[in-house]
Amino acid sequence: MIADTKEIFENYATAKAFCLTSAFWMMVATFYGLLGATELIAPDLTANIGGIVFGRVRPTHINLVLFGFVTPGLLGSAFYFIPRLLGTPLYSERLGVATALAWNAALVALVATLAMGMTQGREYAELIWPIDLAVVAVFALAFFNFTMTVARRREKILYVSVWYVLAACILTACTYALGNVIWRPNTGALVGIPDAILLWFYGHNIFGLLLTPLSAGVAYYVIPRATRAPLYSHTLSLLGFWSLIVVYTHVGTHHLLQVPVPTWLKVVAIVDSVAMVIPVMAFLINIWYTAKGKLGEIHADVGAKFVFTGTIMYFFVSIQGSFMALPDVQRVTHFNNWVVAHAHIGVLGFAGMIALGGIYYTIPKLTGRPLFSRFLADFQYWMVLIGMVGFTIVLTIAGLIQGNAWLNGETVYRVLPEIHVYYVTRAGLGLLIFTSALLGFYNVTRSLLAKRGAMP
Amino acid sequence: MYFPYFIAYIAIGLAISLALFFWALKNGQFQDQQRARFLPLRDDGGVQPARVSRWGRLQMLALFALVSIGLAASAASLLYAAYLRG
Repeated sequence: MIADTKEIFENYATAKAFCLTSAFWMMVATFYGLLGATELIAPDLTANIGGIVFGRVRPTHINLVLFGFVTPGLLGSAFYFIPRLLGTPLYSERLGVATALAWNAALVALVATLAMGMTQGREYAELIWPIDLAVVAVFALAFFNFTMTVARRREKILYVSVWYVLAACILTACTYALGNVIWRPNTGALVGIPDAILLWFYGHNIFGLLLTPLSAGVAYYVIPRATRAPLYSHTLSLLGFWSLIVVYTHVGTHHLLQVPVPTWLKVVAIVDSVAMVIPVMAFLINIWYTAKGKLGEIHADVGAKFVFTGTIMYFFVSIQGSFMALPDVQRVTHFNNWVVAHAHIGVLGFAGMIALGGIYYTIPKLTGRPLFSRFLADFQYWMVLIGMVGFTIVLTIAGLIQGNAWLNGETVYRVLPEIHVYYVTRAGLGLLIFTSALLGFYNVTRSLLAKRGAMP
Repeated sequence: MYFPYFIAYIAIGLAISLALFFWALKNGQFQDQQRARFLPLRDDGGVQPARVSRWGRLQMLALFALVSIGLAASAASLLYAAYLRG
């Protein structure tokens, strides 16, 4: 028994637990997304079922995608590659597994409380205080485990992926606590405009200081491995890392250009949003030059294919982000479905793709066997890609219709029939994504738990 | 009044960042960058590279076609915004 336990905890148990967590919650999260999209075309569908009305489904979808699917997927890879990059085992697999269990308990509580209408009512920061504490705690535990592993390392130099993962964990613990006004348990909020500023400081940083660095960390590991080529420039990668830390922290206020926020803060947000081109291009040039001439190798490895596609989406979403921070562009593109399209490219197209890629790249290394089905993973890749590009197109069109209408003073009820067809298409694409999550969960579970893999 | 929160966050963040940066500088983290490039490949273990297939290249072309459509949609929205402004 003792020997069995020892074997389990020396066998990347933490990485496996986080991969499984991600695959499971991707199913739940995308189901909630599909449900929400369906409610937008059939508003009375769940009219008498309080737990799943749109106002409760949307925050559940968002929080589950963020903390249930994408972050655990990226951490699953990180718990594999950080010990390897440092030349030492993870500080504590027991602590890692305990973190994964606590993480899942927090996610169950998240779904239950939001379904019961227990919310702090702030976009992206809906979770109630006890769950806020749990989220901060699990990030702190992950950070502690990584930091202690760094302290025991046998490799002197910290590869850039290690920097990114450590930064993501500690910055998120701090940003989450601040953005959720954790020192005010009853409301979890300030009052008025200051609260809006703080909320968007949090809302944008949860993408920029959690998903972005974790995704960059995974890409910086997977792409050189898959191409069997050294990183193009480690110095450039460190420049990208430090500039991301400096620039990204202040961009959130570009969501508040139309409200009475201090002008200096708007200027800082716009300038930094445009300056994001520095860390973004430092990362992309580095990854793409590493992969130069080796695209065949990347596409031959399904994990690397997901990751590389994620980097292309990163280019796309970052260019959009820099442009949409400009007031003239925002007059048409803000407060409508254009932003929803932008968010889906970022969270699903960039971070979600890289999370899935990290999982599919890592699992064969964790188990010592090939994936249960390379075909299913490939199939999921195309479903996610087509669904995500489809989201981009239909939501961008719907957003422009809405933006144009509101700019010209048209009333909402005249606009809704015009965008109905795009909402229907969006729900159809959501079904594609949900189905892909089912396939992915089956594939990941069989790959991790079955005795033998079955290629291709 | 929100300034105290931001000032505290910026001050603490700056202090930690600077401390880490100077630790990295003193610890030689910015030296030997050529070797750092190879760190992910260190335990390669002689694994054979994955086989490149024609199907893979076709998938790559399809991928770029899809990405181009997405980029075109984004460019159209920006041009439309510029048109409305004009």
